[in-house]
Parts: sequence; C-alpha cells; structure tokens
Amino acid sequence: MARARHWGLALLLACCGPAAGAPAELVIATWGGAYEAAQRAALFAPFTEATGIAIRTVAYDGGPDILGAEKPDLVDMAMSEAIAQCEAGRLRPLPHGDLPDGADGTPARSDFLKDTMQRCALTHTIYATVLAYDSRAFPGRPPTRIGDLFDTEHFPGPRALRRAPAAKLEWALMASGVPRREIYNLLSTDRGLDLAFERLERLRDDLVWWQDGAEPVALLESGRAVMASGYNGRFFSARLSGDSPIEIIWDGQIQEHQTWVIPRGAEHPEAAWAFVRFATGTPALTAFAERIAYGPARASAARLVRRHPEAGIDMRPHIPTHPYNSRNAIAMDEAWYARTLDRIRHRFEAWVGE
Amino acid sequence: MGDRQAPARTDGGVPGVRRIAALVALGAVSGVLAAVAANAFVAVVGWLNELLLISPRSRVMETDARWVLAATLAVPIVGGLAVGLLHRAIGERRAHGPAEIIATVQTRSGHLPGRPALLSGLSALAALGSGASVGQYGPLVHMGGSLGSAMARLFRTGVTSDNFAVACGVAAAISTAFNAPIAGILFAHEVILRHFALRAFAPIAVASILGYVVAHAILPQPPLFQIDAAEIRHLWEFGPFLLLGVACALVAVGYMHAILGVARLARRLPLPVALRPALAGAGVGLMALWMPDILGIGSETLRFAFIDGAYGDLELLVVLLLKVAATALCLGMGFSGGVFSPALVIGSLFGAFFGTVMAALTGGATSALVVYAVCGMVAVTAPVIGAPLTTVVIVLELTGSYPLTIAALASVALANLVASRLFGRSFFDYQLRARGLDLSGGRSRALLASRSIADIVTPRFTAVPVDRTVAQARTIMQGAGVADASLLDDAGHYMGTLRLQDLLGAPDTEPAVRLQDPRHLIMTSDTRLWDAMQALRDFVGERVPVVDGNGRLVGTVVESDLIRAYLDLMGEMREEEHGTR
Repeated sequence: MARARHWGLALLLACCGPAAGAPAELVIATWGGAYEAAQRAALFAPFTEATGIAIRTVAYDGGPDILGAEKPDLVDMAMSEAIAQCEAGRLRPLPHGDLPDGADGTPARSDFLKDTMQRCALTHTIYATVLAYDSRAFPGRPPTRIGDLFDTEHFPGPRALRRAPAAKLEWALMASGVPRREIYNLLSTDRGLDLAFERLERLRDDLVWWQDGAEPVALLESGRAVMASGYNGRFFSARLSGDSPIEIIWDGQIQEHQTWVIPRGAEHPEAAWAFVRFATGTPALTAFAERIAYGPARASAARLVRRHPEAGIDMRPHIPTHPYNSRNAIAMDEAWYARTLDRIRHRFEAWVGE
Repeated sequence: MGDRQAPARTDGGVPGVRRIAALVALGAVSGVLAAVAANAFVAVVGWLNELLLISPRSRVMETDARWVLAATLAVPIVGGLAVGLLHRAIGERRAHGPAEIIATVQTRSGHLPGRPALLSGLSALAALGSGASVGQYGPLVHMGGSLGSAMARLFRTGVTSDNFAVACGVAAAISTAFNAPIAGILFAHEVILRHFALRAFAPIAVASILGYVVAHAILPQPPLFQIDAAEIRHLWEFGPFLLLGVACALVAVGYMHAILGVARLARRLPLPVALRPALAGAGVGLMALWMPDILGIGSETLRFAFIDGAYGDLELLVVLLLKVAATALCLGMGFSGGVFSPALVIGSLFGAFFGTVMAALTGGATSALVVYAVCGMVAVTAPVIGAPLTTVVIVLELTGSYPLTIAALASVALANLVASRLFGRSFFDYQLRARGLDLSGGRSRALLASRSIADIVTPRFTAVPVDRTVAQARTIMQGAGVADASLLDDAGHYMGTLRLQDLLGAPDTEPAVRLQDPRHLIMTSDTRLWDAMQALRDFVGERVPVVDGNGRLVGTVVESDLIRAYLDLMGEMREEEHGTR
C-alpha cells in the first residue's frame, strides 16, 4: 500500500517535477555513517530513480562552514543552527505552503508536528538526546528518572556526558523539580544557570566527558561508565547489532529537530526543493524511520512506521516521538539555543576547566 | 436605583424550571466568554513580555546587552504613561477591579459598567505587558465579571440573575487561569457572592467547568503555575505550619499597608495623577537593574522559591522586601493590576525562608522546602483576597496532593483570623470601606447603607409659618387633617415639628413655636435607609420631615413607606440567597 503510494508520488515528480531544466546532480551535505546509509536507501536512491537526478553527498559534522566551502544545494542541518543561519541571511526562505498533504489526506500544515516549519528550515526528523545506563551495573533497582543521574548515593558510578552545555543544564533543573515547560525560562536567568551548575558541580568527581557520538556506547559497553547521555539512534543501533547491556531512560529525553535547508548560494534551488518535497512526504519519512530509530516530522508517517526492513524488529517502541516514550520529553528550545549557545558554552567551558 | 424584580417569578412549577434553565444558559455563555477572554489576556501579556524584553527568555536571547538595559529602564515608564492616559478616560481616574465587582454584587446595584471594564482591561495589559510588579488575576476576575454582567444585560435579566452572571464570569476566569474549576466556583461564592444559594451554584458550576473545557479545547495553555506533590515527613510539623500561618498574616498585613502607605504618599506628590504610574515604572526599572526578579508577574521568582538552594537564606528576605516595595510602588502609584500574584510570590518567598529556618533549627529533619513555600504562599494570599477556602483548594487542584493541601489548610486556619483582626477581611473590603461601603457589618447592613430614602420622599407636608399662635396652628392642622406639621420660616427653612396632641391643651395665644417637639427628627434625601431605620427606633409620629442641603423643607417620609422599603430590600436579598422572599 505504502509502496504503491511511494511510486505514485515518484511518477508525479517524474512528470511534473523540474523536468525541463533539471540538473544532472544534486549536492547534499549530510552526516555520514549509518544515518547517511539510511538516507541513501530510503530517500536518495528512490529520488534518483524517479527523477533521474543523481545525488552526491558531502561529509559534514555540523557548523556553518559548510555553506561557504562546498556550495551544496541542500544541507541536513540542526534546527538551532538553521535558525541562526537564517537570521544571518545565508539560507533561502522555504515555500511551506507548497508541501504535499499527508498520505491520509491531512493537510501538510496540520500533518507536520509543532514547530517543524521555520522560515528557512523544514524539520524531517526528530531525534533525542537520552540518558542510558548499563543494566549490569544496577541489577536490583535500575534508574528510571532523570533525577537518578544526580543521585550518586543510590546509583553510584561514573557518568559519561557530552562536553557541551545542552541537555546537562535542562536535566539539572528537571532534577530540581522544575516543570518541563519552565526549564528554558529559568535557564534564562542567572539564578537558574547558577542552580544548574551547582547541581552539576556535585557530580564533578563522577563525570567522564565524551565528544563523538560513538563514545557513550563504548563507555557503557566497556563498563567505564554506568550512565551516559547520548543519541537514541546510536544506543538503538548498539542494541540491534548484538546483546548490548544498554538501556534507555526515556524520562527527560531532549528532542531536537533535524532539518533541510537550502543555502543562498545553492546552484539548483528548484531541484533541491523538489527533493525536500519528496523526502518529507509520508512514504519517504516512513521508510527512513523504519531504518533508523528517529521520529518522522509528520504525524501521518509516525502512524505508518512498522518493522525494520532487514532486522525485522518493530521500530515503534524505539522512536522518541512514540507517545509512550515522549510522555516526559523536553522539546529543545532551538530558538533559545540559536541565540545563547555562544555565551552558555563559554560559561560551561569555564566551569569544566575549573 | 437598581431595577427591582417581581416576586411572582420565583414561584415553583414550570416557570421556575424555565427560569433555572435560563440561568444556567446565562452562566454557560458567561463562562465561555470569560474563559476565552482570560486565555487571550494571558497570551497577550506573555507576547508583550517577550516583545518588550521583560521576560527572562527574551532578555537572554537579545544579544546586544544595551537593548536589554534600555528596555529595563524605558518599558515600565512607557507602560506607566499608557496606564495613566487610559485611566484619564475612567471617571474615578483609576482602574476598576474586584472591589467594584464585590460592591455591585453585595449592594445589588445592577449592571457593571462596560466602558471602565474595557479601559481597565487595557490598562492592565499595558501594566503587565510592560513589567510592572502587579498581579493578573484581579484584572481577569474583573474582566470575567464584567462580561457576565454584559451578558445579563443582553438577556435583559433582573439584578439577581445579573449577580449570578457576574459570579459565573468570575468563576470561569479563575477556572481558566489556574486550570482549577473547583477553586473558581469557591472563589465566586467566597469573595463575590458571599452566600451559598443552590440556584447560584448550578450556573456557576456550569460556567466554571465550561471555562475549564474551553480553555483546553480552544486555546490550550498550561496552568499558570504547577507544583509537584510533596510529602509531610512528621506530624509535629503541623505546629510549625500553624505558626507559619500567623507569621504570614503579619506579612500580608505589612504588604497591604505598604500599598496603602505608598498611595497616601502619592496623593501628596506634586505630580498629576496620570503621570504617577510612569514614576513608579521608573522606580521598578531601576530596582530591576539590580534585581530583575521583581519584574512582572514573577513566575520565575515563584518557581525559584520552591527550589531548595535557589536563593541564599538572607537573599530570600531581600527579594521578598524588594518585591513588596516594587508592588507597593506600582499599585500605590496607580498602576492597574491585582494584588494576588505578587502575594503568591511574597508568600512563597517567606514560606521558603521559614522552612529554611526550621530546617536549620531541627538539623534538616523537616519536610522539603516546597511544602513550607506552598504553605507560606497560601497563608499570605488568603488574607489579602479574603478567600481561605479558595486558596487551599487551588493547592489541591494544582498538586493533587492531599497531604500538601492539609498542610496548606493548617497555615491558612489562623492566617485569615489574625489578619482580619489587624486589618480587615481582605484588601478589597478595605478599599471599599475607604470609599464608604462597609461590608464588615454584613450584607444586610451594606445593602441598606447603599440605598438612600430619596425614592420614598413625598412632596406632601403641612406647613405652619413659624410666627403663628397655637390656635392658628391648630386650625391649619385640623383643616389638613394631620397630627404632625412642620414649622417653616419665610424662606421655607424647616424650624421644628408641631404635634397636634401637644397643642390641644395649650393656651390659644401662645406662639406655636414654643410647643414644638423637642425630640424632632429630620432627614435629607441622601439619608441612608440603614440610618433611617436606626433613627426610627425612637421616633414617634407619622411623617419625618426631609430637608435639602440648605435646610429648606422639601417633603416628608411616611414611617410605613420606610418600613416597606426596608422589607422590600430584605426580601430581594432573601430572594437572591434563598429563592424566597
């Protein structure tokens, strides 16, 4: 059923898409690894098949430099960065009104989740920074809440956290009893930041810092950390590839948006937009989410997600936006980070170096 | 004065059922409108706070610190100017608030005026939007009540239904703002109606529930504050909770006196009334440069008060004093806004301080700080708004924690009593007393004191010129067939009262003025029904002479008319409160 629609859309694009002046190749900057492999299978290959436009990828791991260097037609960018680059005038505004309806007929405006459409960016995927633990370390009573990260009495052992302010500050306030929706308001005050750093300071002796997304998996599996922050997709892949002891705590997961943006300097903006329309349609989003455990930006796609095409396991319980997982999720305030990250990172690094 | 209702409509049977259905419909309409208005109000205040760099989030997101500095200083001043200008268009030169609603409902004086309600709502938006240290529930309550009254006017109802519609609007506004429908119902009864009539309960409950439903269905907004459940560690802590309540009553009294004190000072300032809020805005901006915690409604400050370690021990007191000072400055100088939200902040800061001291005294054996902060919050707020039950129920509805609610109840138990001895039932009642409406003697007295005898003065009287003899006077009175007459001079001034029985045995040629009643009673058309009834206690005679401001006789009041007016008014009150006259 979904596959038939998938082909229907592809045909539509083939006949009415950017047929006349279509370029031979589209340059897309994206993140490599299992992530890019899933994109290639679910998005790039079907797009090329339908339109004849080849896709060349450029490796990239965040940061604004990509816009100047390789002149890609399309960038897979984090939302907070996309907002900042849009304000700096380096991205093209997107015609969100032109997006196709969901596969179930829901108009795009209501099918896409909250805050997914920004001026120059369209969310395709929602991923989460989560807390995970080594199930071997806590055989009797496992940790279940974000507060347990800060409870070294009941849950002793080293904790591996990413060396960056995001997630840590939110979790510190959440553990102090701050409701989710007030977290960024309080972090906006000096008092709130002081409180968060004070909370982290009490963990200092138990902290291990990581920088690359693969490290927390290794730290947990080798027993060098008993708890670790990390990306839910990485932890999922570890479970998929063997009998890893890693368990995810969904409480306090921090959801971030991964978006498509078209740089001002793009050589083929029309073809890039045609790709975005294709890649954020219900069938493409569903196919991508079945290959990697991230949440689709459309409600219609989230409802269609079923099994991993190779491993055959049901993907739904592993997706951060699944209702059961997202009950206590924090939506990262991307606009807030877009404006404050430099100052907060400065303070964070000063604290780490103390 | 206000329109009167015919007693026949209160009979049971089909008309009674229809009337109750109409009342419930009126409540439903009022509730929905008030809920939508309350939600929109809160949303606009939030939007203004973001736009004008008042909210912490917008301040930290502005990368140029000079803009934040400029906004902190300028925005409250400009807001104050806007408030001052808006208030010029209101008769009393100030915003209307819950006190006006209470006065109108308690004295059954009819509809709430729409124009001051609209202007007060706008000035409250300007005040809250620009970061003045004032509350938003007062304006919300006034807006809800006025909408209810406007609906009652549209439905062409009598005063009783109007009062119920006002209460419905108020209940829906509270229900929406706090996500607490039971508290909305209680607030309408406890503060506005001050009686529990079943006929009123039905429409108010409907309005409150609809407010809750509408808020969730149309404009979903999270509750204005949210508290996690907490446990009470020891039963003996109920002792400290009671003590905290007494201390909080003193804090509440100090807070209310601070507002009144600034208001007294403001009246002596050589500054036009319309410019005073701008001066307060300048003061708030300067204070906020050093302590931004005092700006605006104070949601962040309130939250920090619930978190152990967010403030240093003495810092709690410093922020508390600054918040009292900023609020007193704003409200005393004539900013529009309520006393409720600042009371929540002040109370929770004081409760947190009390909890910190208790923890220090017992070596940390006490319950979590949040318990004391919540107790302090309700025990300061309840005496200020005169609503002990409402505040306790708000805690129950917001936390769902029964132990926390009982702790709050223990604190409120003595707080209202102590504060009422020292100050009065509430800040609103104090305001009304200052404006000549004393509710401390109960509703019947306030109701009688709110009506003058003007309606029942008749222009009929028998005049005897003051220079007549007893025989002449007797002839005049017998000719008119009356037992009382008034002595008048040439200009018509009242000089005394003659009674036929005193003249009967007197010598004919004696001047009549010598026989005038030594205990005569006079009234003016402004005399309150309450005073008239008190005066009647010792009155013997048929008619009481009524004079104008210059002492000229303008008419009389017949004793039986006075008694009838009294019985009618008491009947109206019983009709509202018990459905029977």
